[in-house]
Amino acid sequence: MSIWNYVVSAHKPTNVTHSCVGNFTNPQELNLIIAVRHRIFFLLQRNDTNSVSFNGILRHPSLLQGLNKNKYKAMGDVSDCIGRPTDNGQIGIIDPDCRLIGLHLYDGLFKVIPFDNKGQLKQAFNIRLEELQVLDIKFLHGCSKPTIVVLYQDNKDARHVKTYEVALKEKDFVVGPWSQNNLDDGADLLIPVPPPLCGVLIIGEETIVYCNANAFKAIPIRPSITKAYGRVDADGSRYLLGDNAGLLHLLVITHEKEKVAGLKIELLGETSIASTISYLDNAFVYIGSSYGDSQLIKLNLQPDAKGSFVEVLERYVNLGPINDFCVVDLERQGQGHVVTCSGANKDGSLCIVRNGIGINEQASVELQGINGMWSLRSSTDDPFDTFLVVSFTSGTRISAMNLKDVLEETEIEGFNSQVQTLFCHDAVSNQLVQVTSSSVRLVSSTSRELRHEWNAPSGYSVNVATANATQVLLATGVGHLVYLEIGDGKLTQVKHAQLEYDISCLDINPIGENSNYSQLAAVGMWTDISVRIFLLPDLNLITKEQLGGDIIPRSVLLCSFEGISYLMCALGDGHLLNFQLNLSNGELTDRKKVSLGTQPITLHTFSTKNTTYVFAASDRPTVIYSSNKKLLYGNVILKEVIHMCPFNPAAFPDSFAIAKEGELTIGSIDDTQKLHIRSIPLGEQARCICHQEQSWTFAICSVKNQSSTDESEMHFIRLLDDQTFEFISTYRLDTFEYGCSILSCSFSDDLNVYYCVGTAYVLPEENEPTRGRILVFVVEDGKLQLIAQKETMGAVYSLNAFNGKLLAAINQKIELYKWTLREDGTRELQFECGHRGHILALYVKTRGDFIVVGDLMKSISLLIYEHEEGAIEELARDHNANWMSAVEILDDDIYLGAENNFNLLTVRKNSEGATDEERGRLEVVGEYHLGEFVNRFCHGSLVMRLPDSDVGQIPTIIFGTVNGVIGVIASLPNEQYAFLEKLQSNLRKVIKGVGGLSHEQWRSFNNEKKTAEAKNFLDGDLIESFLDLSRGKMEDISKAMGVSVEELSKRVEELTRLH
Amino acid sequence: MWKEIRDREAGKIRPKSFSSRIKFNRISNLQLTNYKDIVSSHRGSINSLQVDLTEGRYLLSGASDASAAIYDIQRATNYEGNGLIAKHKSIVSVDKQHEKGHKYAISSAIWYPVDTGLFITGSYDHNIKVWDTNTTKVVMNFKMPGKVYRTAMSTLATSHMLIAAGTEDVQVRLCDIASGAFAHTLSGHRDGVMTVEWSTSSEWVLITGGCDGAIRFWDIRRAGCFLVLDQSQSQLGRRPPVLDHSAANKVSVSKPLSTGQSSLVKSRAPQKKYTNGHGIKQSTIGRMPAKGSARQRLHPGMLSIQDRATAHYGAVTGLKVTEDGMYLLSAGSDSRIKLWDLESGYNTLVNFEKARLQTSKAIQLAISQDSAHVFVPCMTVVKAFDVWSGKMSHTFRGHYESVNCCWFSSQDQELYTGGSDRQILVWSPCKLITDDMDEGHTKDQDNWSD
Repeated sequence: MSIWNYVVSAHKPTNVTHSCVGNFTNPQELNLIIAVRHRIFFLLQRNDTNSVSFNGILRHPSLLQGLNKNKYKAMGDVSDCIGRPTDNGQIGIIDPDCRLIGLHLYDGLFKVIPFDNKGQLKQAFNIRLEELQVLDIKFLHGCSKPTIVVLYQDNKDARHVKTYEVALKEKDFVVGPWSQNNLDDGADLLIPVPPPLCGVLIIGEETIVYCNANAFKAIPIRPSITKAYGRVDADGSRYLLGDNAGLLHLLVITHEKEKVAGLKIELLGETSIASTISYLDNAFVYIGSSYGDSQLIKLNLQPDAKGSFVEVLERYVNLGPINDFCVVDLERQGQGHVVTCSGANKDGSLCIVRNGIGINEQASVELQGINGMWSLRSSTDDPFDTFLVVSFTSGTRISAMNLKDVLEETEIEGFNSQVQTLFCHDAVSNQLVQVTSSSVRLVSSTSRELRHEWNAPSGYSVNVATANATQVLLATGVGHLVYLEIGDGKLTQVKHAQLEYDISCLDINPIGENSNYSQLAAVGMWTDISVRIFLLPDLNLITKEQLGGDIIPRSVLLCSFEGISYLMCALGDGHLLNFQLNLSNGELTDRKKVSLGTQPITLHTFSTKNTTYVFAASDRPTVIYSSNKKLLYGNVILKEVIHMCPFNPAAFPDSFAIAKEGELTIGSIDDTQKLHIRSIPLGEQARCICHQEQSWTFAICSVKNQSSTDESEMHFIRLLDDQTFEFISTYRLDTFEYGCSILSCSFSDDLNVYYCVGTAYVLPEENEPTRGRILVFVVEDGKLQLIAQKETMGAVYSLNAFNGKLLAAINQKIELYKWTLREDGTRELQFECGHRGHILALYVKTRGDFIVVGDLMKSISLLIYEHEEGAIEELARDHNANWMSAVEILDDDIYLGAENNFNLLTVRKNSEGATDEERGRLEVVGEYHLGEFVNRFCHGSLVMRLPDSDVGQIPTIIFGTVNGVIGVIASLPNEQYAFLEKLQSNLRKVIKGVGGLSHEQWRSFNNEKKTAEAKNFLDGDLIESFLDLSRGKMEDISKAMGVSVEELSKRVEELTRLH
Repeated sequence: MWKEIRDREAGKIRPKSFSSRIKFNRISNLQLTNYKDIVSSHRGSINSLQVDLTEGRYLLSGASDASAAIYDIQRATNYEGNGLIAKHKSIVSVDKQHEKGHKYAISSAIWYPVDTGLFITGSYDHNIKVWDTNTTKVVMNFKMPGKVYRTAMSTLATSHMLIAAGTEDVQVRLCDIASGAFAHTLSGHRDGVMTVEWSTSSEWVLITGGCDGAIRFWDIRRAGCFLVLDQSQSQLGRRPPVLDHSAANKVSVSKPLSTGQSSLVKSRAPQKKYTNGHGIKQSTIGRMPAKGSARQRLHPGMLSIQDRATAHYGAVTGLKVTEDGMYLLSAGSDSRIKLWDLESGYNTLVNFEKARLQTSKAIQLAISQDSAHVFVPCMTVVKAFDVWSGKMSHTFRGHYESVNCCWFSSQDQELYTGGSDRQILVWSPCKLITDDMDEGHTKDQDNWSD
């Protein structure tokens, strides 16, 4: 890999942090706006989604509520030279009467941006806020002067609220009308109550208090931590509260004559753990979640059988937080699936993310033993298909679309439905042709009667056959090749040829100028494993191509994409060969071989929206298409497909029929390749995951909360089947013992493959674990068997297989363990050597003898294992103070890291340095602000790596973040990088972020100490947005770049295929 | 800590609060390190310590034997005790033997804030010298009117390269590295100036503490100081609940700080065009009690009562501004530590527990990055106080004679202290695994011993 990296998000963040409802786009339409980190989505009427991308992390989403009234919003840089960013999160609020915006960005300062009477923003100023630990600030309703209410904690950890009036003229606070001391210790949230009641609700862990100048009402609640609220009524008498266990409560303020009489609270039911709640209308509620799937729920008037008033109508999949993931190739196709540990607490799940082409299933029926399928039209001119012929070993069934658009069984009298059909096709002059093992039957499609029949010579039966509108080519035993032509009511045997071997497959798909007649026939042979091209009608052999190997061709296909003709030949072992075909002389050039599956492939062409595709049916169905004169392969998200045929009835245009094991499905294709997510709820949070190929299992470390409020947790190692994702075995860890890391590895001198688990005993009185274990399991009969364990002096943060040994990161040490055989034949881990000198070695990756450590706060360091001395030595380190969150090794010299302030960095080993000092320093070569907190890096790819694509050569790393982003980092060659960098700088001029925030500034590496312009990283999301630009803008860029729009599009499109 | 790591991973705590929590925990667990040893090359009491601000890697010390030394605190020179104890020997050192070295004690040694190519020493021999780190040659020398007590450079400065120097003399001098001459003299103190400190929120604001007990604020673009801290002015009743409070006084005081550079830079621009002569004229305009904006620049020297205000009884021996630029801590020979709100200039009245401080010498305080802890040399020990409550949280015993200076490295959460016993001690968060039980005992002793 190289230092020139291209960062792109394959899956955008899905972690919903804020939402609000209002009439934004149109006074009559109710919109829901949700904020997902740095993007805002406008959901219009529940299905149309617009997204706006911000350059910058959205920090003040409640400003959106102001949008509702103001319809505009100004943006500006509000960073100050003074003050320390708040620990408890930044707060942005808008005065209910739109007099000012209040921001609490830095401890001890309240920034005020006043509006003038035209609604424009005026010069901002700071007001000193003495309260140090501010937990929440809200504006009060119904006050003549803008008044804030501040919830804060003093240095004795007691919590109080205070009110302040903002005196705009004096630019200062005036102590407000009331205050309330000594609230619930867990009070964390203020809800301002709108007029006529006014005042504020203070939500604590054990009580809820209503407070205003002259009233104080409190009710006790079941201990819970309320995370989100949503107001139901405009008058503010009812609120929905969501707590950290996902329970939804309704809080009612009872009032008489605008006086608050009391509070009532009622449990409604369970939802995802809410981070935001928006009451839409008519009892519909949107629950936005950071820890689980966001939901659209309906509140029913009557409880269901379980006593819940909540009915979940829709779920919106959220991958965040991705605690860990692994890239696996379950079907061994060279295409990675990402399996993530997503969600937190009870909303934890495993998500299987894969790239591919989706199928929209329209209908399916159970049918066993399908051998072949063809669709037929009722007349030659009919644009739509009517019949679907399904062939079985013992007969043929024909279905037709009836007038009610229902597929029902029918009969074509002229067809022989007692035997298996080998091939069917529409023929000219309203005819249909059926090939069976004994004959070729020509049938009228209008009268459905047999018009002519060609019988195979006695003693021979037809083995394989193919046809088009005017031609039939069939093969009988021992190499007889027979060519027939179809006339009006007549089948004529034109030519017969005797080949030396048996024929395995045939194709005469017309790809020349005449769409009914093919000049060429492709024939696949047994025995000599070759494909031959014959000229029709004379059956002259013009080309013979040896395929090599001993796997026979099972399907050949002539096809053309974008004016280029190809011959494809699928082998019995799942490989596909393709050649460029010269139509005039039958010459085959540009041979390429790819592996698509492990089972025999059958090839079919179909077209959707005027584009031709080839469908390769096998255990890994693939769609082959062409873009920019290159063949592309997209996997179809389907299990094994036996047969496929295009089926284009009027009711479901552009569909096709797919025969799977025991099932026939009619569906259509999603024309774009995208990520598909399958989510498997666990009901507990998975922390780390790894896959073991040999036992076909996954193992996870998971945490289950016993009950919603209780802090006690149970920790498990669970074994899952890698196909069904069912728990097949569980190992329960000790009390207070946490699973920290997991690894599947094998040791030198031992053939078995083990799961190694690193744990920590987290005792409540200890600040840092001082004890842990390394457990070694083997999978036997689907069960986890503990083979060995080793006590450690701390938490085992990371485990790596290292030279047939086990490398563990234990608190500040790196330790290497040998797997030794004891006298009694059992095995144990034995300490070999260690290295200290880290604060906390949290993230460790290895390559050869090199060890790269990501420290809690001391950036990246490089260690080496010296075989001779049997010792681990430090080679070099980065002396910057980066708090790491993940590391990965790009290549021998370049290491990648992600740090606490959402930045990425690459460092390079300087082994050629002149001095010790230079050699001992890892040089920072790349810096970039990702804006996402990366939890894990992993080598791998989400797309299929095929030899004939350019992107196949580009190495990639996948990363997963807290917000549910799956991203790809690709190392580009220098030339491409320079080109794209130029494109990026031109795009920056054209694409402006909302509010005019600069992209350059946003992508600058930024931590407490410094801000440095991004280097050696490119923003793929920006570059790929080139394809969404209008033609005019594309041309502007093309002019500036001096490269044609087509060339630019082509190069950018190539990049989009990285993910 | 494991829980925090897990919560950060799941997005339950923000990465920022994660790091500040861990830093806070580590600072609360500081103790005399058992794995890092700085081999002091000084033969006199250590008066000044500073880790460079760019890499956080090089510790600069200045001592009474007229020597200054630099230690690499990230990379040990060698290891002892089975590789467990890292020895850090000085990598650069200058002393009397140097042809242009100081004659008498170095009272202050500071890094050039932009890079580690230069460092500055101030000495009792009336000289301030600027050194090239790589060649250890004096590149500039400023002759001062008296013993130099303290020097300081602004970490924020982008438009000036001034060394502020507090000396025996009543005037504070600003030495310009760019020109090699004195840029300003700031008059106001009635006695020598023990300590100088630049604001961390504005590159133009300098704070000085004198032997006269006064803490003065200067905007170096204007003549005269604009604020003198008064220990009797407290925050109590600052925000009366009635509207009619006349904010004029306070606003005028806070203005130069809170509005920050934007307005000040504007006012500066035209100044450049004028000749020096005109500049004087402008200041005379400023003296006239004219319009609002002009009034803010009013020389507070006019108000003799304010000008005579004191922050401490006796000399001000130490000053430290919090990193967020909102508070100032001062130590005085009256053995008091005071916390000031910088915006209003009021004494916050935080009652720091009684501690005996050195009276004759300037001391160097240190504050943790989150402003929660302040480290104060109190005779032979260093005490850590909670900044907001004034409670003493820790006593660091290790030096045999009085401690003169401390420096807190927020990058490693390590405290460096230098004392008259010629030692530089490192206090670091306790190692997470206690390999031997001795370590635990030392810690206990520290906590119980007072």
